[in-house]
Amino acid sequence: MLARVANNLFWMGRYIERSEHIARYLNVNYFSSLDAPNQKSQSRQFVLKSMMFMVGDPEKDEENILKENEILFKIGLDHETPYSIINNIKYARENANSARDLISTELYEALNKFYHYIVNYSPENFVKSGLHDFTTHVMETTDIIRGKIRGTLLHDPVYAIIMLGINVERATQIIRIINAKYNDALNSQGGYTDKFSKSFEWTTLLKCAESYDMMRRLYKKTPTSVTTLEFLILNPNCPRSIMNCLNEVYTLIKVLDNTTKYNKKSTAFLVGKVRSEFQYKYIEDIEGNFQKFIEKILDDLSQISLKMEKEFFNY
Amino acid sequence: MTNIENKIFSSYQKDAALYDEIFDSEGQVKEVYQKLFSLYGEHSIEDYVNLNSKAKASFFNQGITFQVYGDKETKEKIFPFDLFPRIIDPVEWDIIEKGSIQRSKALNLFLWDIYHDKNIIKDGIVPMELISSSDNYLDQMKGLDPPEGIYNHISGIDIIKHNDGKYYVLEDNIRCPSGVSYVICNRTALKRALFGVFNHYQTYSVTNYAENLLDLLETVKPHGVDIPNTVVLTPGMYNSAFYEHSYLAKTMGVELVEGRDLFVENDFVYMKTIKGPEKVDIIYRRVDDQFIDPLEFNADSVLGVPGLFSAYKKGNVTLANAPGTGVADDKAIYTYMPEIIKYYLKEEPILNNVHTYHCSRPDELKYVLDHVHELVIKPVDEAGGYGILIGNKLSKKEIELAKEQLKANPRKYVAQPIMSLSVHPTYIDETEEFEQRHVDLRIFTVLGKDKEFVLKGGLTRVALQKGNLIVNSSQGGGSKDTWVLKSI
Amino acid sequence: MYLEYTINYCTNNTYESLVKSAFWQFLIQPETNETQELIAVEFKNSLNIPHEFSINGYGFNSIRVTPKKAFKEIHFYASFTLKKKEIALDLIESKLTIEREMNILNSLYFKVDFESFLKTTSYTQLQNNDRNLYLFDWSLSVLKNLQNLNSWVFNYIKFKANTTTVNSTLDEVITIKHGVCQDFTHLFCAIARLNKIPARYVSGYLHQGNGYFGDSQMHAWAETYVPSKGWVGFDPTNNLFTNSNHIKVCHGKDYKDCAPLKGVVFALGKNKTSHTVQVLSQQQ
Repeated sequence: MLARVANNLFWMGRYIERSEHIARYLNVNYFSSLDAPNQKSQSRQFVLKSMMFMVGDPEKDEENILKENEILFKIGLDHETPYSIINNIKYARENANSARDLISTELYEALNKFYHYIVNYSPENFVKSGLHDFTTHVMETTDIIRGKIRGTLLHDPVYAIIMLGINVERATQIIRIINAKYNDALNSQGGYTDKFSKSFEWTTLLKCAESYDMMRRLYKKTPTSVTTLEFLILNPNCPRSIMNCLNEVYTLIKVLDNTTKYNKKSTAFLVGKVRSEFQYKYIEDIEGNFQKFIEKILDDLSQISLKMEKEFFNY
Repeated sequence: MTNIENKIFSSYQKDAALYDEIFDSEGQVKEVYQKLFSLYGEHSIEDYVNLNSKAKASFFNQGITFQVYGDKETKEKIFPFDLFPRIIDPVEWDIIEKGSIQRSKALNLFLWDIYHDKNIIKDGIVPMELISSSDNYLDQMKGLDPPEGIYNHISGIDIIKHNDGKYYVLEDNIRCPSGVSYVICNRTALKRALFGVFNHYQTYSVTNYAENLLDLLETVKPHGVDIPNTVVLTPGMYNSAFYEHSYLAKTMGVELVEGRDLFVENDFVYMKTIKGPEKVDIIYRRVDDQFIDPLEFNADSVLGVPGLFSAYKKGNVTLANAPGTGVADDKAIYTYMPEIIKYYLKEEPILNNVHTYHCSRPDELKYVLDHVHELVIKPVDEAGGYGILIGNKLSKKEIELAKEQLKANPRKYVAQPIMSLSVHPTYIDETEEFEQRHVDLRIFTVLGKDKEFVLKGGLTRVALQKGNLIVNSSQGGGSKDTWVLKSI
Repeated sequence: MYLEYTINYCTNNTYESLVKSAFWQFLIQPETNETQELIAVEFKNSLNIPHEFSINGYGFNSIRVTPKKAFKEIHFYASFTLKKKEIALDLIESKLTIEREMNILNSLYFKVDFESFLKTTSYTQLQNNDRNLYLFDWSLSVLKNLQNLNSWVFNYIKFKANTTTVNSTLDEVITIKHGVCQDFTHLFCAIARLNKIPARYVSGYLHQGNGYFGDSQMHAWAETYVPSKGWVGFDPTNNLFTNSNHIKVCHGKDYKDCAPLKGVVFALGKNKTSHTVQVLSQQQ
């Protein structure tokens, strides 16, 4: 496989996954804020700022009043903002275009239809009443596309590279969402009743990661900061957890590099090292030093991505 | 026999001056079309409206589109596809196939000659000026022996049927002829829409193109290579034919590369893969001559590969088609095709050539100036139907303007009698009816070492505007599935 | 009797911004022919990038360099050692009559065989009113006419560096009547070709020990095909037949076919290139 095309496939995976997380974040935060138990969490400004924080474009001026229409448009359908959902899907399709000869017609067709649907979605409609419809469509279609990836491609290096993109991105987005909601939980602390560890935001966080139901099933208690973070970061059986993503990445990288030699320069080595560090972590260590932890894991993930670029995508 | 009461053709207007592919001069349906005609008659026009929009959506969703660049944004368009197929009977096909092979071979011998001893010029058959003044004649190709002596591996020959019922060649395309993917997509689309009709005809399949192309390309591998590694070289995904490039790579099972994926080291070509460099032996390139190697041709090209030409010159890589083939599909050379065929093959041309007047010859220029209204005037070096003037469509003022152009630059133009392209019933969106539209036919021929292949089918292009004779997709043309019958 | 030459070629390229990707092709290596023999080649660059010897599209020796890492500055240095024969040009008038020579020049075979060097290129294009700039005297032989043309060009243009560039057309040269070897050669070729005599542009080195014109860069002259003698070299910049001071690298239709350095460099901003050439002789 060509190095350039491998790079494109990797990013196709990343953009597909990214659009889904952004869509879900918008959806969950917006709709759960409507009947949130405390005033702060119900505040529209609070929600809009949280959305901007998550996409990496936080509002610096605390006094500034954000307009709902503008923010939704900016994150959803604005061609001018690089992180918008529409751009993510556009980039995903462009990357797929250059690799059309390697992927299945079914996968391409699904992605192509998705693109045309989004491009033709009316922005007026979206900001007025289409938020639920639009974000649901994005979430469902990305699921269909992942299904096509799994179900119609040969499980060979092409598949491994796309799935690597998906899993690296998933880990990155989950971390970003955790960070954003952690931030929200800090900011929504009010009186004596709104304690950080029992914040309503933990529930929202789990919903943003589509993990609420299973978390309840496992812990059988209202989510707290410790249980939520433990579940989303360290539990290898939670399909959205960082641990699970790292395990996947490790398996997939072995498809590309199956040597068993000791090679500390390889991507596989780095992935293995990061994974092992995670496997034996205490959640208490993380909770006590949360900001440092976030920085470290984001850095690890970007190091993995950079290393892959050097080793496999160099063209 | 003929069900002339056919519902969907009740309002079909037949222009007696035009040669209709399915109705004879008496208005009767020709034999090969009779079954199809009655099968189509079982449907109502509403069915076609419905099927047509489904077929369109299918092309769109599959991303079988080309880009149209506008001021603000680029739009994606589909190449319009028509539901009514064109049928070619085995007898006619035999002539077309033999004629195409004959032409491709003659062109190949011609190219070898003009890049070596130039005997055809020394013998006074083709004038020197046509070659030496052509921008497409590459001095770098002189004396170079392409692997197995093949220059035009892939030819796309455009033929039409005139109102005398005979086939004429309009153009030989031997640079990077495109359109073959549409032949295959059209077949797939028609099968999806109207599968029932296929049971009644013995039609040749068109899906074997890619495997035959690969087989034949592999016969012209560089010397000393055992199992060759073939790639398709594309200018990139913004090229209007990118779909075709990716389609061909996919169906041949080879890599689709861009210039930046390749590099040359010690005069061998490599591609950059996730496992490091991999040697490349055969390049089916869809990048024009001027852009293949910035060190040798257009220095500003970012599409090409620096050093590629040296690797080619040393015989370490095969380029298909060879650089410099463009000199032979020039419209001025076209007019010498009957002589070229006779000179090299000692055979009579199987397919007719349209008579051509050379404006570079004073007496012929005079004739052209006096008869502009009944001639087609073509610039000799423009592709894609640009700059063509059709005499009987010009106003008095435009005729005068054309004459000025001709006088100012006679070498640039040739003129031909206005050929009346045959017409074929074509479903028209606006009127929701079948109407007569002009069609041509592009035939794809592949030359390999001692072997050749003609795709049994072809791209029937339709001029969708009423009365329009220009069928190129860039000029708003569509296409039809084309059936070559095994037997009647 | 032969001469031994050492030629040192240096070029420095500096770029305003970091260059990520580049390709260079040098056409500077002397060819081996009847009058010269290349003995040794040395090629180096300041970044220690490996180089390759190859051929260009016309079959002349080229040297290619492709850096694999980014840089802002690069120097190239080449040194060639070669033996050159003393050339004694046979100036005896040909045995062919002028008429016979004309017949050959006008024959189709001749025109076809020498087609490349008879056609006009963008560098050798004369405007219509310049086509009578110099007229041949057909009572004289081809060789004599070319000799006269050589003197005429030499007198018509004054040698002056930096008045023209590598992109200058004959129009500009004729207007300012100043130029360098390249301009002299293009004018000479253009007029020879107008008179149906095949003429090719030659790129090479000039040993300047004898006070010849040229600068410390590569030199250019012309070779014309004289039916009675074959290819004959003329140096219109110095009003000479070529001799043992002329060391040939390659030939072509014009400068474009012979550019000593072709580069494809992906860089933003300005760049500077300088060349120096040194030709040293040692009589053997």
